[in-house]
Amino acid sequence: MALDDDTVISVRGLTKSYGSFRALRGIDFELRRGHVLALLGPNGAGKTTTVEILEGFRKRDGGEVSVLGIDPSRRDRTLRSRVGIVLQECAVEPYLSVAEAITQRSYLYPDPRSTDEVIDLVGLEAKRDARIKTLSGGQQRRLDLGLALVGNPELIFLDEPTTGFDPTARRESWDLVRGLCAEGRTVVLTTHYMDEAQALADQVAVIAAGRVVATGTPDTIGGRDRGETTVRFVLPAGVGLGDLPLPNGLCPTVRCGAVEFSLPDATTLLHDLTGWAVTHGRPLDGLTVTRPSLEDVYLALTGEQADR
Amino acid sequence: MNDLVVARHQVNYEQKAYWRNPMSAVFTFMFPVVFLLVVGTSAGNSTIPDSTLRYNQYLVVAMLVFGLIAACYTNLGIMLSIRRDSGVLKRMRGTPMSVGSYVGGIIGSVLINVMILTIMVVCIGMVGYDLHFPFHPLAVAVTLLVGVVTFSALGLAVTVLVPNAEAAPAIINGIYFPIVFISGVFYPIANNSVLSRIATWFPVRHMVNALVGAFETGSGSGLQVWDLCVMLLWAAGGLAFALTRFRWEPRRR
Repeated sequence: MALDDDTVISVRGLTKSYGSFRALRGIDFELRRGHVLALLGPNGAGKTTTVEILEGFRKRDGGEVSVLGIDPSRRDRTLRSRVGIVLQECAVEPYLSVAEAITQRSYLYPDPRSTDEVIDLVGLEAKRDARIKTLSGGQQRRLDLGLALVGNPELIFLDEPTTGFDPTARRESWDLVRGLCAEGRTVVLTTHYMDEAQALADQVAVIAAGRVVATGTPDTIGGRDRGETTVRFVLPAGVGLGDLPLPNGLCPTVRCGAVEFSLPDATTLLHDLTGWAVTHGRPLDGLTVTRPSLEDVYLALTGEQADR
Repeated sequence: MNDLVVARHQVNYEQKAYWRNPMSAVFTFMFPVVFLLVVGTSAGNSTIPDSTLRYNQYLVVAMLVFGLIAACYTNLGIMLSIRRDSGVLKRMRGTPMSVGSYVGGIIGSVLINVMILTIMVVCIGMVGYDLHFPFHPLAVAVTLLVGVVTFSALGLAVTVLVPNAEAAPAIINGIYFPIVFISGVFYPIANNSVLSRIATWFPVRHMVNALVGAFETGSGSGLQVWDLCVMLLWAAGGLAFALTRFRWEPRRR
């Protein structure tokens, strides 16, 4: 498959079945150098199968796949030295120390990072000589991430990399991923956290039932940028809807004393409402203005599949 | 990267991991030593049939076989089952490391364990039971090497049969112990008995014969060529089975 220099991954018509179960029914996407792609989708939708085909762990049934210009099913060693992989399950020999595990890995690559650099990168300085089995779950995940970065990979696969992290560790991992992209590396990320996709991804692909149901940036996917804005506030005591300066034809819904409007552009409405509130000295309690979140769009796209 | 260099580093890490988890060393080192000290002392000086060795001297050689099989077959089978279940093997497959370097590193580490075991057990035999230094040291070395190759290959092969790490000890020892018993590892078995005829089909009996032969007085090289050939046949079969059927990932649940 011909690729221009900037295309790191190209997937066309990818199919895969396990017995009679059609796990992938024709997946297509492309990923450019230096970008972060977030693959979203319910459990069992085909995310991990897709990623494992790209990683070379599984053979595809049909379609075309190219990773850094190479077909991953050939299990080319050069390709493996250019790719870093973080699997869902954390798997490191428990009786080695952190530094030993990283050093062991560094012998495998032509141009590895130094052990101390990797330890510093994932913030495990205090655990340098600790046995891996004594690390907490989050620390083991960070070591896992560090091990994937030892070989200075051009392309990094992160399968649910921050599951089980505390909020601080998550933010630090996000900074780490952003740093990798700033160095021109490319990242494929699967996650169940919409805020993670929002924070990191340049591209999002939503997979449901073995198909890509939507692609785009986190801000535009699924028509999110064209979705209606929702304005919500609590009606001040003794004020009726009729007292408010509302544009014609706008139907609010009232729920538990809170008024909610959905409209394409809320600028004028907000101006009128806040003007009225200031003039009359009646604050609008609980005033919020929201756009559809990535999660709203995701839930709509994956529909009832999400219950699986 | 040079595969040999990587394998050498792997030996190093395998050794570290092995000695830091002493449970795996129990069967390999503790059991033969304790068995020798307890049973060997009470075994007396009777000689065994078809041999110049006394019973307690025979036991020294037999316990060396026991330890070798524990170090190769049992240890590899259980360790690889655990690593497969925890995803260590899958992870290894995602790096540029070659399967040859990885398995080579593991077997190199096993070879070191067998050398340590041999020195320990032979020293106990020489000090405690008047065991003569092997009459055919080269034959002993060749036999031990063939033993490591054979029982390591069978360790890889048995991993194929193990569905998950919890089942590993039961399956691996369940195959191993009956064969060890009928092969005369704990007490000598006459060459023409029914048990020995059954045992002839399996490699353990041949390992005992080959090693006893290398320790005995006598002319010639001490190499028991027929026994070694049978073992190598098992090695080839085990390796072929492992190469075609080995799973690198846990069974899907």
